[in-house]
Parts: sequence; structure tokens; C-alpha cells
Amino acid sequence: MKPKRQKGNFHQTITPLLFLLPNMVIFVLFIIVPAFQGLRMSFMRWGIFTDPKFVGIANFKELLGDSVFWVTFRNTLVYSVSVVLLLVVVSLILALLLKRNSLMGEKIFRAVFYIPSLLSMIAVGIAWRFVLGDEMGVLNHVVRSFGGDGINWLTDGRLAMTSVILVSGWALSGYYMVIFISGLQAIPTDLYEAARIDGSTPWKTFWLVTLPLLKSTVLVVVVLSTIASFKAYELIFAMTKGGPGYATKFIVQQVYQVAFMEDRMGYASAMSIVLMVVIGVFTAMQFVFSGKDQGYE
Amino acid sequence: MKKLVLVLSVLLLATIQLFAAGAQEKASQEEVTLSVMWFNDANESDVFMDTIADYLAENPHVKIDMQVVAFSDYEQKLKLMISGGNPPDVARVTNNHLAALISSLEPIEGYVDDVKAVETQFMPASVAFAKDDKGILRAYPTEATANGMIVNKTAFDNAGIDVAKLSETWTWDQWEEAARKVIAANDKIKYGLAVDFTPHRFSTLMFQMGGRFMNSEQSAMQFNNPGTLAAIEMFKRYHDTGLIPKSVWLGSENPAELFQAGIVASHIGGSWNINTYNQNVKDFEWIVVHNPKGAIVSSVPGGKFIASFKDSKNKEEAQRLMAVFSDKTHNEQYCRDTFNLSARVDSEVQYPSNSEDFARFQIDLTKTPAFTANEWKHPVVNKVSTYIREQVVEVLIGNISAQEAVKRVDERAATFF
Amino acid sequence: MSKKSSYIVLVQYVVIVAFALGTLFPVMWVALSSFKPQSELFRIPMTLFPAHWTVENYRNALGQGDFLVYFSNTVFVAVVATGITVLINIMSGYALAKYIFPGRNVIFFIMIATLMIPLQVIMIAIFLQLKRFGMLNSLWGIIIPPSATPTGIFLARQYMVNLPDSMIESARLDGAKEITIFARIIIPLSKPIIATIAIFSFMWRWNDYLWPLIVITDNRKQTVQQALANFVGQLQINWSNLLAMTTISIIPVIFVFLAFQRFFMVGITAGSVKG
Repeated sequence: MKPKRQKGNFHQTITPLLFLLPNMVIFVLFIIVPAFQGLRMSFMRWGIFTDPKFVGIANFKELLGDSVFWVTFRNTLVYSVSVVLLLVVVSLILALLLKRNSLMGEKIFRAVFYIPSLLSMIAVGIAWRFVLGDEMGVLNHVVRSFGGDGINWLTDGRLAMTSVILVSGWALSGYYMVIFISGLQAIPTDLYEAARIDGSTPWKTFWLVTLPLLKSTVLVVVVLSTIASFKAYELIFAMTKGGPGYATKFIVQQVYQVAFMEDRMGYASAMSIVLMVVIGVFTAMQFVFSGKDQGYE
Repeated sequence: MKKLVLVLSVLLLATIQLFAAGAQEKASQEEVTLSVMWFNDANESDVFMDTIADYLAENPHVKIDMQVVAFSDYEQKLKLMISGGNPPDVARVTNNHLAALISSLEPIEGYVDDVKAVETQFMPASVAFAKDDKGILRAYPTEATANGMIVNKTAFDNAGIDVAKLSETWTWDQWEEAARKVIAANDKIKYGLAVDFTPHRFSTLMFQMGGRFMNSEQSAMQFNNPGTLAAIEMFKRYHDTGLIPKSVWLGSENPAELFQAGIVASHIGGSWNINTYNQNVKDFEWIVVHNPKGAIVSSVPGGKFIASFKDSKNKEEAQRLMAVFSDKTHNEQYCRDTFNLSARVDSEVQYPSNSEDFARFQIDLTKTPAFTANEWKHPVVNKVSTYIREQVVEVLIGNISAQEAVKRVDERAATFF
Repeated sequence: MSKKSSYIVLVQYVVIVAFALGTLFPVMWVALSSFKPQSELFRIPMTLFPAHWTVENYRNALGQGDFLVYFSNTVFVAVVATGITVLINIMSGYALAKYIFPGRNVIFFIMIATLMIPLQVIMIAIFLQLKRFGMLNSLWGIIIPPSATPTGIFLARQYMVNLPDSMIESARLDGAKEITIFARIIIPLSKPIIATIAIFSFMWRWNDYLWPLIVITDNRKQTVQQALANFVGQLQINWSNLLAMTTISIIPVIFVFLAFQRFFMVGITAGSVKG
């Protein structure tokens, strides 16, 4: 009474589709259908209480000459690239230090590093304003008590971008640390044993054993953090409101402002389509660079 | 794992129980349930419920379903509900919301005997906000707000300045002179002035310097005018000479916090700050003063309103409730308990304290020209207000000139006409 | 050798403790400030510890609105949604990792692509869709639509790709049903990733603000995060309530993290330490 099946063969169609079904149904109904509506809207002139009017590619044309959009575009790129690099390095270091249950209090430390990702982004923004504020910040309070002048963490354009990047790293390292730790668990322990017996140094072991086997996890972290940082908005808004001037204003904030303040839903849709395409290109590049051993193609 | 599953399922069961109980409660009520949407600065939703408690007692068939939504997402949520075809029956709105939403509100006319009589009960600026472009009243004014200056009286005293008296006639030059003396006389005071990081508060300076947003027919933006330019340049000069801390408009630090910490001599905020400062300031004495004179003396009016929507399900009952809530007795109670200025002309609110401070705001409000409200209710001014704020900051940073900023604003606004 | 390794441990400790202190500082500032009376919050010179400890802020925050209801709503949503999310994500991840079928890569990339859509922009369309399915103002409207998380699928797939094929093959040779293989072999082997997805999902649901904002139109169905956001007004911020409520809202998630973390450490304890 066994169903007909090629033995030992992973080529099947019905079973995997059944496994995928619940997810796909929800995706289609609540994300993909609305997303196509968004795509359609990017070719319309449309306010929230007015009827959409088809305008062809006028929105995209306008985008080309919109200097504010391109400033936010550049800011988003600078921010995303820096945050992704920072996150990968810091969270991997944390994961390597805290993966073994051999240090005293490791459990507590893991929880400590994870706490920032538990805070709502609004709370994070508030907490760091207490730390970095020009007049009311703790750091400047310390600087001044040593006779300094205070540092314009959030008031100076370039420093504000740096502060926002570092705080994002602070807020999210714990999250990616958890992903790295679970990835490290999949590496068979006998490989480490063998490397140790061969007299390999920890440094060499990391490059020759850990990193190659961690590749699929690195890809996860890079892809997820890239997508998340391109969409980042709440934390930055809570800290700087996009300022000073346009120094930390990102695409999503601009999309929000155009959509809900200026009531130009079509133009905002066009902006977010561009954002999606950019994220898509970055993600595709990451998959291509990660190579064939990921099981694609 | 098992223990954990057990704990989680107990939690879950407990919650389901709670829901079941809630559902039964709901089934027993029939008649009319008004959905009310509110946002809170402090505890206004509670005060609202207390204020209408007598009405609900007399009308047992009316029940209230209250939802409080955070202000930052309030407008967006309302827009979602309206465009989705199920707006609440009653909503609290600000003058900014009215600029964006007024066309979807239900007119008051038809639910009251004489709408003109209703209009005369409220301050002209508030009525201006509540009317659509055809002059139809679509909301009841509740509280009025006024922008204005609050000062650290202790610091002025230390400099030997009787600030209350001086402010009765002072000009911006006199204010500056006084502020510099205050900074010199107090170790802790570092700055003369903090201005809220909003275009609305900036417009206080703008109107005082004789500036405006639009031309007088409101047919186009005319941010490019001598008064507005003077205001931006004055604002920049105060930043450059250290009279205003850069951290507010450039670093988005909260000016109310700086004032509470006692490091700025004066704060341009508004009538709502009385409530906060009353609770939080314990280290020094503060008072509300009259606005310094530039070209004119001016405050900026604003306020809160209560309205029902065209697509609301229970319009009749909603309008009845709103009318009662806005009458003299209820309005006075509400404004007293929320510590706000009333939008009614005939109100005599008995505040538990700070009545002199409220009076000063009220006096400056009466001196304020009517076009200030009419400009702020214009949809285009609202749409470009964030852009205006950004351009002012660009000037403060030194990226562009004031000339360039006003030109950009006018160009941007032109696309909306 | 042992001297050298204890030296390494010391360095590791210094690094970790330094990181930990830096990490905790802003959080501690929030937590300790929540015990300060309002008038102390913005006082200069500022102090880390309250000069006068008070629990008044907690009393006020908990007294405003119906905190118990918000809390139980949030627990309900977070627990049920996490259960559903873990199950359907693991299923999808497995299908994408261990079967070869036409359209596999397309489905996978579409799922990843949905991550890239900024939700704020399609909110109106989502709202209309929820209305069509009668999910407005219902906790199920918060639970179901966001439960198909691309992140979860991605994590599950990347983890399961590394699981050995041989075990699945031999089970098939023994005539095991596909669902049995999934339940008996794949799930036990995937405990670390299940724990990871569960933690992420729980935490995300606990902190989610956008979906409740779209779906809920009734105070009795609000979640903790909504109540939290209500403390930030148009003109005033209720700092003390906000700080107190934030502090309270973190605590449950920390416990869930502590409870789950031994599951994602499972591989190691089974292998090296005990062995």
C-alpha cells in the first residue's frame, strides 16, 4: 500500500508543495496581492481620498529629478553597507565567544547581548537620546565634567550618521549572534577535535574549518541584515528625525512623508518600487557570490 | 521543553478564559454603541469619559467603545479607516488633521437647530479651523491652544529683571538684551531660548516678524516675503550667536527637557506646556509671558476638535453626544480637568492653579490676526510643513541661504496647486 | 599550554564583559530612570540612580487603561502566532531544502522578495484585504497574516540544507511516509533552528506595532506596544509612564529567551561537553 515513489529520490512535486501550501496561501493573500496593488499605484496619481488616475511613468520620471530622493538614496546606501559590515563582524565575534557553554555565566551574557533586540525601536531611540544628547546626554555630561566642550553626537551631520550606524549595531548584534550560534551548532564537533589533534591554532581553525562550514549562515545574516537595514526607519527617526537637515534621512522615511504627509500615494509607491529593486539587486548579488554550494541552480 | 509547553498553554488558557468573559459581556448590550477614537497627550480620554458620564447615565441606551491610538500614527489610522469605509462614529482631531480630513467629516448642519448660533459660541480661529473651504462647519472645537513664551522666572530675577512687567510691552530686541543679561547672571543658564522643533512653533516667529505662508487670497504659496525672510534670518542669527542651542533644531533634542533642566531662559512652546511644567519643574519658578513684538504681537492658534464622519454608522447619536460634550458646562469641566484653554468664547474655566498663565496666553491669542488660522488650515501648508522645517534647518546648518530656502518652498508648494 | 589557554580565557572575558557593560548601559538608564520621580528626569547634573526611589510611575502606567487586558492580548497573540509561525515555516523550509521540484527556486526567491516590500506603503491594500476576509478588529487578524515570515523560512531552509541526506534516504528505503520523516527525523534534528525561530517570532510579535495598528479598532483588543505608544502625545510625552511601561514590557521576553536558549545550544551539549 505504499504510494508510488522513486526510491531514494528527492525529485517529488506534490509533497513539497503541500508542505509549502499554508505559507503560500498567506503570502499570496496578504502580501503579494497588496504588493501588486502597490505596483499598479506607482503608475497612478493618487491621494488617499481621491480616485487614482493613470499617469504612465510620470512618477518615475519625476523621481529622476528629485534631489531629496537621491540624497536619501545615498544615505541609505552608506548606512546599509556600514551596518551590514559592522553587524556581521560583531555578531560573529560574540557568537564565537559565547557558543560553547564553557565560560562562567555564558547564558546570562547571551541574554544580555540579546536584550537590545527585545526593545522596541522607539525605546531604543529614547534610550540613546539619553546617552548621546548634546545638552541632556550622559556622555557629554561626562566629557564636560572633565572640562571638555561636549561632542555633537547627533547635531553634527557626519557624526550623526556614525552615531546612528553604531547604535544600530548595538541594537541588532544580539539578534544576528543568535543566528550565528545556531549555525555554529550544525558544525560537527569531531572536525574541531581533528583540527586540534593536527595542532591547528584557533585562528587557523576558524579560517579553515569554521568559516567554510558557516557559509550558509553567513549568507543568511548578510541577506537579512541587508534587507533590514535598507528598510530601517523607526530607530533613526526616534534618534534624529532624519536630521540634522537631511544627514540621516533615509528612503523609507521619505516614502512615509510623501505618502502620508503630502498625500501622494502613487509617487510614494514609485519610490518604494525603486527601493525594492535596489534591495533585490543587492540580495541577488549576495546569492551569486555565495556560490553554487548553497544548492541553487 | 515539556515544562515550557505546559507553562505556555496555561497562560494561553487563562487568556482564552478572559476573552470568553469579555464576549459574554458584549452580548448583553443592544442599542447604540458609539465607537470613539482618541489620542492622548496626558489622560484626555479618561477625562472625556468622566465628562460625559452624566450624559451616559441619562441615556442608558448609549454605550461608548473607546479606542486610544498613539498620536504619531493617529492620522494614518484614521485615513486607513476612512478609505476602508469604516470610520469611527466620533473622533478627536487636531487642526492639522482637519486640514487633511475635513472633506470626509459629517457637517454639523442638520443636526442642530441653528448652526450659525453654534458658530458664535466658539472663538473665531477655532471656527475657522472647523469649517471646510465652503464655510460649512464640520467639527466642534473643544480646546484651544496658543503658542507662546514661557520663561524661567528665577533666572530673570537673578539678573534683576522683572520679566512679567517687561513682557507687557517688550520687543524682540528687548528680549535679546534681557536674555543676554540672564545668561551672564546665572551659571546654569547656557542659552536664551529654545523653540520647539516644529514648523508650527517656528511660525510664531514668522508671524511676529510680519511674515506669512501664502498670498492673501490663498491662491499660491508666498513664503518668499520680507517678514518670513526676516524671521529665518533672525532665527539663524540666534543660533549662530549661541542664543539658541543648536541641538534642538539640528539634533532633535527636546526643548521642554532643556527648559525643565534649567539651562535655557525661555521656551517657545504653548499652552499645553503649563500642565507638564506644573508637574515636573520643582527647582525654579517659571511663568508664561507675553510674546515679544516684532512687526506685530502674535501667537499662533491651534486646537483640538471633535467630529463625526460621513460614513459613520451612528451619526445621529454621535452628533447628539458631541453637541452635549461641547456645551458650556461640559466644555468647562473638560478644559479644567485637562488643563487647557477652552475654545468657547463664554467659558469661565476655574483652573486649580496657573490662572494668570492661562490668561496671558488668552490675551495674546486675542491680539493674533485671523489669517494665521486660515493659513494653517490650508491643506497645502500642511502638506509642505515638513519640507519647510527641513529647509529652515538647511539654512541653520549653512547649506543654503534664507533666500534659497523660501524659493524652494514656493516651488515645492506650487506642485500642489 | 594550560597557562596559555587561561590567558586566552581571560582575554575573552575582558572582551565580553566590556561589550556587556556597553550593551547594558542604555538599558539600565531606562530601567533606573523608571524609578525616578518626574521632576528628577531632566535634572542637571544627571544621576544614574534616582535620588528618591519611587514606584509611582509603575502605579500610573499600570493604572492607565486596562493593562491586564493588553497584557493577556499580547501573550495570546505572541504564543499562538509563534506556534503557527514555527510550524509552517519549518514545513516550508524543509520543502525548499530537501526536495527538488519545478519552481523551487522561483518560490524561494519570491518568498525572500516579500521581505523587501516596505509594509507601510501597501498598508491600505492590506487593510482592504483584511476587511474582505472579516479579519478587522480580531486578534486573528494580527496572528494569521504575518505568520508566514520569510525570515523564518530562510533560516529553516539554510539550516536544513546542511542536514545529512542519508538519513532521509534510508528512512524512505524503509518505507516511511514523508510526513513521518518530517516529524520523526527532521524536527528532532532541527531543534536549534526551531528554538531560534521561536525566539525571533515571539519577540517580534511581542514588539510588533504595525499589524495591531492596522487591524485593531477597539481598546479591549489592544496590545502592550500600542498602550506604550499612547504615552507619546502630540504635544507632551508622558516620560515616566513610558519608561515604566517599557521596562515592564521587556521582562517577559527576557524570560522566554532564557527558557529557549538551552534548545539552540542542544547540539553542543549532546556532542562535546557530555561526550
